[in-house]
Amino acid sequence: MATVISASGLSKRYGRRQAVGGLGFAVGSGQVCALLGPNGAGKTSTMRMLLGLSRPDAGTATILGERVGLGAPVLRRVGVLIDGPAFVPHLSGTANLKLLWAATGRAWPPPALDDALGLAGLGAAVDRKVKGYSMGMKQRLMLAQALMRAPDVLILDEPANGLDPAEVRALRERLAQAARDGAAVLVSSHQLAEVQQLATHIVVMNRGRLVASGPLEELLGGEDAYRVEVDDTARAAEVLRAERRVASVAVQDGRLVVTAPGTPPAALVEALVTAGVGVMSVTRADRSLEEAFLTMTEGEGEHAAR
Amino acid sequence: MLRVELRTQLLRIRTLVALAFLAAVPVIAGLATASRAGRRNGNQGGLFGASGFSALNHAMASLEFIGPLLLPIVVAMLAGAIGSSDRDWGTLRYLYVAPVGRARLLAGKFGAVVVITAASVAFVLAGGMVIGLAVFGWHPFRIIGAPDLSMGDAIGRVLAASGYTLLCMLSIAAIAFALGLLLPRGAEALGAAVAFVVAASILNGSPVLRAVQRVLPVHYWQDWTHLFDPHGTARLGTGVVCQVATIALAAAVSVLVLLRRDPAA
Repeated sequence: MATVISASGLSKRYGRRQAVGGLGFAVGSGQVCALLGPNGAGKTSTMRMLLGLSRPDAGTATILGERVGLGAPVLRRVGVLIDGPAFVPHLSGTANLKLLWAATGRAWPPPALDDALGLAGLGAAVDRKVKGYSMGMKQRLMLAQALMRAPDVLILDEPANGLDPAEVRALRERLAQAARDGAAVLVSSHQLAEVQQLATHIVVMNRGRLVASGPLEELLGGEDAYRVEVDDTARAAEVLRAERRVASVAVQDGRLVVTAPGTPPAALVEALVTAGVGVMSVTRADRSLEEAFLTMTEGEGEHAAR
Repeated sequence: MLRVELRTQLLRIRTLVALAFLAAVPVIAGLATASRAGRRNGNQGGLFGASGFSALNHAMASLEFIGPLLLPIVVAMLAGAIGSSDRDWGTLRYLYVAPVGRARLLAGKFGAVVVITAASVAFVLAGGMVIGLAVFGWHPFRIIGAPDLSMGDAIGRVLAASGYTLLCMLSIAAIAFALGLLLPRGAEALGAAVAFVVAASILNGSPVLRAVQRVLPVHYWQDWTHLFDPHGTARLGTGVVCQVATIALAAAVSVLVLLRRDPAA
């Protein structure tokens, strides 16, 4: 699958704060990749660099094989929502769409206008001044702006903000359709349950650094994640983290959630018992994305190191 | 990009109100002096004294009245908004990812500044001409203490005066535009630009600091009125050089500010 969005060694520092450090990942055609991380993880900074809105201190960002800079021509093929919606308030929704389209020097209408307006679902309100719009209406209009150009790439920062459940569902279906049509989709979101239904791949960041990246199913642990009940949680966590085969260890509700790809549970029990830790039970953990995310981002240093 | 800028700025209520205000001033002045149509306006001399003689006389008198303060303040407000509004609205980042490069963005904005400044001057002249035609009629241009100007001569001088005033207004527009790019909010840019006009006007009226006055663009703004003196000569060269230098300096500052400004802001 062809790489469409690529970040390689991206770093950005604002004063003394390292917003992004040595970040690398790729999104291919037909993939929906979710960029995840707690607040301040560097997601928006990463997206800004991918869009040329911010110059990386080190590393490169490419889209469709072209290096991205401010106003780079390749951005014509990208649908964008970044840092929330923004419009000229005294113009109507339609006039705003026309304005952003006219700025590219292309003739109205854009190729996927009807489809995009259908998703926005603004009805007659699309001809009213934007200053009277609710937050959700502005968000939907901005999404319509991103989708109306039938882009090969979508980079959307928190696209579900302000949307009601039905709208979130419609958006999910529209993005999935775009990916099926061959687009590469990169979304950042805090709505993990939603992301779990949509994303094929995830990139997890914390404190500006890559924590994990890859296919969603793989990172959720699948059959390699276990819930372990022991008599000494702290000691058990210490023992398992020292094990080479263990990818991550987190403590949840007094039990350990352990990810150890390709390792039978008996090997974990053996390691614990050998270390003098009593094991009460080991069960397979069907982790949600939320659990996986929290596991990956708590105690960031150790997980990032792994 | 020029079309985009013009569409965003010219369709704003406040732009339309400002332009209507500029046209209204000569209209109100014309109505107030309607009783003196065809006669000298009291004991006043110069363009004000001759304003009731013809539509062109009234248009030029209106420009002299509005030129020192009201016109530059309105021009500064409109030009400052061109520099600051897309950042105030947050639309700048969406223009960059549309994609629009910095050079094209700046060219569009400079173009819009020129068009809006020209529209401001034109509204004053149009307001003066329309009410002048209605109240005073179309007559030869009268200069107190000199023979009437021929139509060709009058039109030539009116065009020279209008062009010179446009250049002068472009200098304050360029300053306001640079402030609009530089300062964090449009309101601050407007305040700073108006403060500059007022402070420069006060400084220009002061009997001291002659050396400072000579480098102020404001100092030359009314030089065009000498085109309508009885001897009919005006030295506009220094004024033109000062305005062009101001425009060039402000444009260079604008380029630097835009290059250094966070595109995502």
